[in-house]
Amino acid sequence: MSEDELSAVQRGYSTREELEQAEILPPEEAVKEKLVCIIECTEDIPCNPCAYICPVGAISKEGLCTPGVVDWEVCTGCTRCVAACPGLAIFLQRIEDGKGYVTMAYELLPEPKVGDRAQLMDRSGKVVGEGRIVNPTYQAKGDAYPLWVVTVEMDDPELSYEVRAIKILE
Amino acid sequence: MEDWRIYEHPILKFDRGREVTIYLDGKPLKAHENETVAAALYANGLRVFSRSIKYHRPRGFFCAIGRCSACMMEVDGVPNVRTCLTKVGGGMRVRRQKTFADRLAPLLNKMSLSPLDYIRMFTRPGIIYKPAMKIMRQFTGQGSFPKKVPREDGEAVGERGEEISTELLIVGGGPAGLSAAIEVGQRCKDVVIVDDKDRLGGQLIRQTHMFFSDVKYAAGKRGFRLGEEMVERISELKSVRALTNTSAVGYYPKENTMLLMGPDSTTLEVKAKKYLISTGAYERALVFENNDLPGVYGAGGVQTLLNVYGVKPGNRGMMLGTGNVALIVAYHLLQAGIEVAGVFAPSFRRVRGYMVHAAKIRRQGVPIITRHTIVKALGKDRVEGAIVTKLAENYEPIPGTERKVDCDFICVGVGLNPAYDLVQLFNPKMVYVRQLGGFVPVRDRQFRITERAYIAGDCGSIEEATTAVLEGGLVGLYVTQSLGYGDEAVTAKIEEYEHALEEDRGSPFSTGIKAALKEITVENIGEVLN
Repeated sequence: MSEDELSAVQRGYSTREELEQAEILPPEEAVKEKLVCIIECTEDIPCNPCAYICPVGAISKEGLCTPGVVDWEVCTGCTRCVAACPGLAIFLQRIEDGKGYVTMAYELLPEPKVGDRAQLMDRSGKVVGEGRIVNPTYQAKGDAYPLWVVTVEMDDPELSYEVRAIKILE
Repeated sequence: MEDWRIYEHPILKFDRGREVTIYLDGKPLKAHENETVAAALYANGLRVFSRSIKYHRPRGFFCAIGRCSACMMEVDGVPNVRTCLTKVGGGMRVRRQKTFADRLAPLLNKMSLSPLDYIRMFTRPGIIYKPAMKIMRQFTGQGSFPKKVPREDGEAVGERGEEISTELLIVGGGPAGLSAAIEVGQRCKDVVIVDDKDRLGGQLIRQTHMFFSDVKYAAGKRGFRLGEEMVERISELKSVRALTNTSAVGYYPKENTMLLMGPDSTTLEVKAKKYLISTGAYERALVFENNDLPGVYGAGGVQTLLNVYGVKPGNRGMMLGTGNVALIVAYHLLQAGIEVAGVFAPSFRRVRGYMVHAAKIRRQGVPIITRHTIVKALGKDRVEGAIVTKLAENYEPIPGTERKVDCDFICVGVGLNPAYDLVQLFNPKMVYVRQLGGFVPVRDRQFRITERAYIAGDCGSIEEATTAVLEGGLVGLYVTQSLGYGDEAVTAKIEEYEHALEEDRGSPFSTGIKAALKEITVENIGEVLN
């Protein structure tokens, strides 16, 4: 049986189409207007740091075990939820001047630096292109244990709907 | 010399301590003070610690937390020492418990004799038992008793230590035990918490990922930080006495005494008004050909080696199982720069763990291959690969679908079993509940399993560490009440914890657990005993 015939919970990831159907991805207008957050959290698990940390109240949760829902009109793209999500499931996306930008949590080596080239991977781990690190921020989360929030720039804006992981090339 | 230590890690900095030299069968090896013997041997690329008794097959460690007994060696003249718990010391002499028969093994194997069942031989007449045993031991590899007691002051091993009376004895310093100790310690006069490791924290010490749950309790914190914070809080409580490197080895109901064995085999007798058992869990093994080869580990064992000692288990691993532990350990391997060949599991319906954990490793290019199982591990003295096969809907292997996976270690992450050994000594009513991981005691609403004993955490039901923190806290408060320190604040806090636990178990992942817990919870424990 090929992977296309499996469901998301059998594969271990959701496709763009599945996330669109679940209304987890932001509408195109939002992405073209500003940096907005996407919570790719599809299951009911007990967790709430995203709603707790959001400074503008853009993330709401019905209960402890329901996934956070984003109000894209309110979201300011501040990246706090990206660093707070224990499941590393929150991303930011923006399309600007014909380029795509994706922001994500990064807990691997090597450490990211501005201008680093990075291999871009989609949700399934397939390499889909190459991008540049534009804005790595070091999150001193209380105890200063390193967890980076990095933004990667890509020439093809369409890719920003797919790219969810990077491998920094040295 | 090979060096398998990890020097760069995105999350951790390893404090290995001073460099020392230890000797393995007389050969000097570089080690560090804060490493265990097993970690030091691994860091030097050594994988075979001993040979099995009967078939003389190579043995390495499986669990790395002192549970599996596969790592036993002779250390400074003492046989059968669990090397995964023993810290190295300068000049330490470690020996493989080689025997005469190991050297004979190739020959014996060729002759295809049936192996010796030594414990059933020469038992009668009594007069030949002792001399025969001496000879048999040469064939079995269990080591020999030390000729000289390895203590500087020359005192005999096995000294009888003090007797302690306390209000509460907590056995197991993991998330549940620590959380209980914090609640009880704030309100009672005298609590003892005992753990067989060299520090408190249980398996939190190896959890480098951030926890889920409610921000009010543990969410967003990395597991090892949560553990450190709890240990810090306990050190501030004067009423709590922590005994590390100390095992609870027996409970005697008639005398109401728990026997502890501390460092240098000193015994301690503890008489407590109440006991809380929070001994955690064992990793499950999986049956397949060659599953005893060095290089087949528990997923948690790999996590310990990686995140506590900073030593690589290999260069390319495969993971068996798709539960949260398996998915998380696969991610920890990636963080340490180790390749993961794939995550394999027989499940048809879904990946058993959380999707967010699965997605994290998928997008890094690690395949998750369900509907597959391992057939055998390849290799002679260590893992050099594995054969997997596809399964049909009835979970039978489909002939012709076998293929080789290139890897040099295999992680078995197929779940945990409650560690009920000590629990049983209290004579509670034990039941087998699949949803809770195995044999667990019947308890009442206050988590009592007998009049004197309470249970909390994984040894009562296999759940998340964050659930154990909540449950431990709640049980701590019930103990506080029963010791006569209850007040309105305690009652209010009990309600708060009950509510938090209910919320925490509100996900579909906990539906089965919740139902099973309801089944084995009675109104008052007195009903089911006697």
